[in-house]
Amino acid sequence: MRIVVCAKEVLDPDAVNSYAVAGRLEIGEDGRTITQAAIPRLMNAYDEQAIEAALRIRDAGVECTIAVVSVGGDQADVLKQAAAMGADEIATITVDTSTVDYHVAARLLAAYVEHSGGADLILCGRQASDDDQGVVPALIGEALGIPVITIARAVEVTSDAARVTRVTPNGEEIVEADLPAVVTISNELGLPRYPTTAGRIAARRMQANVLSPDDLGLTPDDLQPRVALTKQFVPQVQGNCEMLSGDSPAQIASDLIERLRADQVLP
Amino acid sequence: MTIVACTFGDPTASGEVEELLTLARRLSESNASDLRWLVAGSAPRAAVEELAAAYGVATVDRIDDPKLEGAAPDASVEALAQYCASRPPATLLLSQTFDARLVAPRLAGRVNATVMMNAVDVENDVGTVRVTVSAYGGDTRAVYELTGDGPHVIGVMANATAPERSSGATPVINDVSVDLSRIEERIRIVERTPEQGPRLEDANIIVAGGRGLGSADKFHHVEDLAEALGGMAAASRPIVDDGWADPSRQIGLTGKVARPALYIAAGISGASQHMAGCSAAKTIVAINRDPDAPIFRYARYGIVGDCIELLTELTNAVKAR
Ligand SMILES: Cc1cc2nc3c(=O)[nH]c(=O)nc-3n(C[C@H](O)[C@H](O)[C@H](O)COP(=O)(O)OP(=O)(O)OC[C@H]3O[C@@H](n4cnc5c(N)ncnc54)[C@H](O)[C@@H]3O)c2cc1C
Repeated sequence: MRIVVCAKEVLDPDAVNSYAVAGRLEIGEDGRTITQAAIPRLMNAYDEQAIEAALRIRDAGVECTIAVVSVGGDQADVLKQAAAMGADEIATITVDTSTVDYHVAARLLAAYVEHSGGADLILCGRQASDDDQGVVPALIGEALGIPVITIARAVEVTSDAARVTRVTPNGEEIVEADLPAVVTISNELGLPRYPTTAGRIAARRMQANVLSPDDLGLTPDDLQPRVALTKQFVPQVQGNCEMLSGDSPAQIASDLIERLRADQVLP
Repeated sequence: MTIVACTFGDPTASGEVEELLTLARRLSESNASDLRWLVAGSAPRAAVEELAAAYGVATVDRIDDPKLEGAAPDASVEALAQYCASRPPATLLLSQTFDARLVAPRLAGRVNATVMMNAVDVENDVGTVRVTVSAYGGDTRAVYELTGDGPHVIGVMANATAPERSSGATPVINDVSVDLSRIEERIRIVERTPEQGPRLEDANIIVAGGRGLGSADKFHHVEDLAEALGGMAAASRPIVDDGWADPSRQIGLTGKVARPALYIAAGISGASQHMAGCSAAKTIVAINRDPDAPIFRYARYGIVGDCIELLTELTNAVKAR
């Protein structure tokens, strides 16, 4: 069985949050790119969990090859980490990511799947923590004409089907689909493993398969973006917080309850 | 040019239809395009008529087919694709529900449309549609331009638009038929464990706890106050991840989006990804021992102190009455 996991690098969302909250998030001269050099770049956490999901399938005794692919020529760290975690193959598609929209990304990834020996299972993070769009997995599924199961907490496979536990707003749900299928992984899967020392050493030796859109049979027309980011800004939060204090927690508590009653928030 | 606002099932079941119709009408008025409301799945006719009239939608298209029952993604995508083929909309707006989050991009892939999720605003400009979306969990807003003739499929976030009624004539309701005879859902449901009881989305009062509680055995302080207030207990993501609270309790970008009258946040820092699920609360009370915690920026009342102590005292104060 061949499992393809799609992964990408993002700006550390916690660091972005800290700068945004402190009012110090810097948007560059182009008006749309976050430029703080101090913000670390790391693998999108959901993608890390997608790799973990693949490794758990292997741990469960399923014979499989795990390939991790990333769009963009600058994803070396992500791929190294994927290799260190236990991926069997790593691949990168060399394009200028600033001209890649969701549609192009999905087309590139679907073409990679078709050109690299196909996939029985494609795993993706449920969304990337930078743009939060979460549309690429569905677009890959449509490009390949295969089912897409979203927001998985656990994935099991048999020789021809996937059994997925989904976290839905109405509770948990176990679903099945024939393979091949796309499954998106959510944080409920649990923590991804840390690479072992042996894994790291092996990763150093692993060469990424470097592919161009041309290698994947795509034409410049296929790479024409239709969605363009033109601007990014930090929205203002209107603060009007009244701080309550008092001699004791009990007194503050009753003060708060009284105010909430006066505001008719509480009966 | 046509703008289509699309909803699934009974429109009175959620408060998001009013927001969607408001945004869609505004968009259609801005460049004098036609506005249609597409209702997929079974929906009570009277309720649809009433909402359409109240929000100034003159034309309603209904697709009702038994195969659309119960969030059926293959049937939904196929039905919308056939609809788009027979009367191509310039823009198709959907309320971004859990199910729409999958149906929207799949539809876009199917009909070769552009797609954008998390929209908080949509504008028309000459030859382009400009969409403002939430990014980085709400830390930033990103503005995208969608080019081409469309259709542009856009998922609209809950709580982004204030509903605004508009008087309209009695709407015309068309029954649109689609052929779903060849559709067999490729995803089979094996088992469902439906959540019992009330939903956070509908709660009037929510008490939420975060990592500041300190440990799993302290979550009951959150539940105690929630119970005393007749509300519901909720949690931030880290404590769900650590098993202190059930995943169904998670508020936020990747959890539930609630809009209670009162939201009490105890030991929660106020990261944008959390606030995405509660910033629409009418009154937010924040309890945090760090006076600089970002949560205070969103709060109406703030208390700097130990959340366990305060949760306990608040429970006492409520019960004392
Ligand atoms: C893509 C993405 C999606 C996410 N989705 C969600 C989501 O849906 N929901 C969500 O909640 N988070 C989500 N997060 C995580 C989010 O970014 C924050 O990390 C998280 O909300 C922080 O949870 P917290 O406030 O409980 O913990 P912390 O940020 O660790 O805050 C704990 C707070 O408790 C205070 N504190 C400590 N001790 C005490 C005490 N004794 N008394 C009072 N206060 C105390 C501290 O001062 C601090 O402010 C997401 C993150 C990403 C990247």
